[in-house]
Amino acid sequence: MTGTAAAFRLSTRLFWLDRGVVFGTVVTPVVLCVGMPVLMGALRPDGVAGAVQTFVGGLAIVLSVSTFMSIVQALTARRDQLLLKRLRTTLLTERQILVGEISGQVVQTVALVAVCTLAVHLAADVPLPRNPLLYAVFVVAGTTVVAILGAAFTALVPRLELAAVMSMPFFLVAGVGAGAMGPFMEMMPTALRMVFAALPTDAVVTVARTTIASGTIAGDLRAALVPAIKLVVWGLIGIFALARWFRWEPRRS
Amino acid sequence: MTAIQVTKLRKSHGGFEAVRGVSFEVGEGEIFALLGRNGAGKTTTVEMLAGFQRPDGGTVRVLDLDPVADQAELRRRTGVMLQEAGFFQELTVGQTVAMWRDFTAVPRPLEEALDLTGLTTKADTKVRQLSGGEKRRLDLALATLGRPDVLFLDEPTTGMDPEARKNTWDIVRGLAAEGTTVLLTTHYLEEAQRLASRLAILDAGEVVAYGGMVETLAGRSGRVSFTLPDSVAPDDLPVPASVIDGRAVCQAADPDLAAQTLLSWASERGLRLASLEVRMATLEDLFLEAAGNDR
Repeated sequence: MTGTAAAFRLSTRLFWLDRGVVFGTVVTPVVLCVGMPVLMGALRPDGVAGAVQTFVGGLAIVLSVSTFMSIVQALTARRDQLLLKRLRTTLLTERQILVGEISGQVVQTVALVAVCTLAVHLAADVPLPRNPLLYAVFVVAGTTVVAILGAAFTALVPRLELAAVMSMPFFLVAGVGAGAMGPFMEMMPTALRMVFAALPTDAVVTVARTTIASGTIAGDLRAALVPAIKLVVWGLIGIFALARWFRWEPRRS
Repeated sequence: MTAIQVTKLRKSHGGFEAVRGVSFEVGEGEIFALLGRNGAGKTTTVEMLAGFQRPDGGTVRVLDLDPVADQAELRRRTGVMLQEAGFFQELTVGQTVAMWRDFTAVPRPLEEALDLTGLTTKADTKVRQLSGGEKRRLDLALATLGRPDVLFLDEPTTGMDPEARKNTWDIVRGLAAEGTTVLLTTHYLEEAQRLASRLAILDAGEVVAYGGMVETLAGRSGRVSFTLPDSVAPDDLPVPASVIDGRAVCQAADPDLAAQTLLSWASERGLRLASLEVRMATLEDLFLEAAGNDR
């Protein structure tokens, strides 16, 4: 077994052993991402259109809770409990430890998105993506970038107790920006809308919306260009921050 | 052959210089003790030897490797038992060791690792249910899993009961007998004296005593003490003595000879030297003297 595979296996195993984490990062976002579109589809006069809008917004919630908040929580806990320090005594390199952790989070979130996509199709008639490959590529790439940003963000978190509180703003901003919490964006000035549109979660939401709506492959690819650039830029920022500021041990008091 | 070579090692944390020009060598298959008070620089030194911290100055070679530049190769050949490191609390002892085997180059079989550290009966116990001493034994099981050439043990028996401590000493001796080089830091001076053949004492980041255990102790004075008879003043005694809490204390290079001289002198005068104690120099004496604990 390679080091990265061993680190991935460890990360995944620890995730599923922690019932609190599983409830917070799997059950809650899935209920929101599936339950809200079903509710909207039933209550709103525009039916399926309302369900689609709520579902793609819900993807931002899944990414922010199941990936960003989850990895911030996991890595901060492992750092503060000196588990990362212990892992560094092994053959695993620092890169393998981080790649194992990030890939564990990515696999879990991608599986959740797949479940949610199927569930809203069956329960709320939300169409399946016309271009599943493009949809899958952006879900995987977006989740990876958000996981990298979450790992880098832990450098700002002084201790575990503050991990959830400090990562909550990302959840709120991503949710509002994606329209998952109501039509707030329509009330915002253009400059602020541009800031929300720059979020990495928006890249996934944009491509999901495009591939679910009617259109052509050429049109999908054109629509995916700017989101792809956004993800590349955020990915590079995340990797730089991770290499520069990631902390393997708690700050010495 | 030298397994560990440290030359003029320096390390600062912020404005505080934790290690100030430390130098020592450890031979292959040797058990070497690094002693000192809290904050003397022991753990910082061990963490630089293990490649966790980059030195600010000086050089470190472990098995002729640079711990920072050659970290991957070093990890294959060393085991580290850190003073403080966490465990995955929800895993059992057996699951923890089995998991660690995935991260180890040529690991011992699970049963052997558990047996070596006396944890066989705890294989199905969750780590969070272990006592402090049992966690240290699990720590040792992980550190020795890959049959390392060099083993760093930072306070290995802290929290252990006397029996577990003795078992750990036996394990460490056994590993050294098989050729493993052991660098040990400990607060227990008895542990260092029983296990190590050579030592260095650190104080405020500097080496204040260094050498073979026997030779270093032989160079220190022993002690004769007894209850000073009421009729005798310290200046009357045939050997120089000071009085501490009503007891006369004589420091002497040869405490046996000093005791004989005192007993002959007392016999001639019909005096009794009550509660007479004769003691060779111990590591504690050396430590207190070198590390300045008596300041």
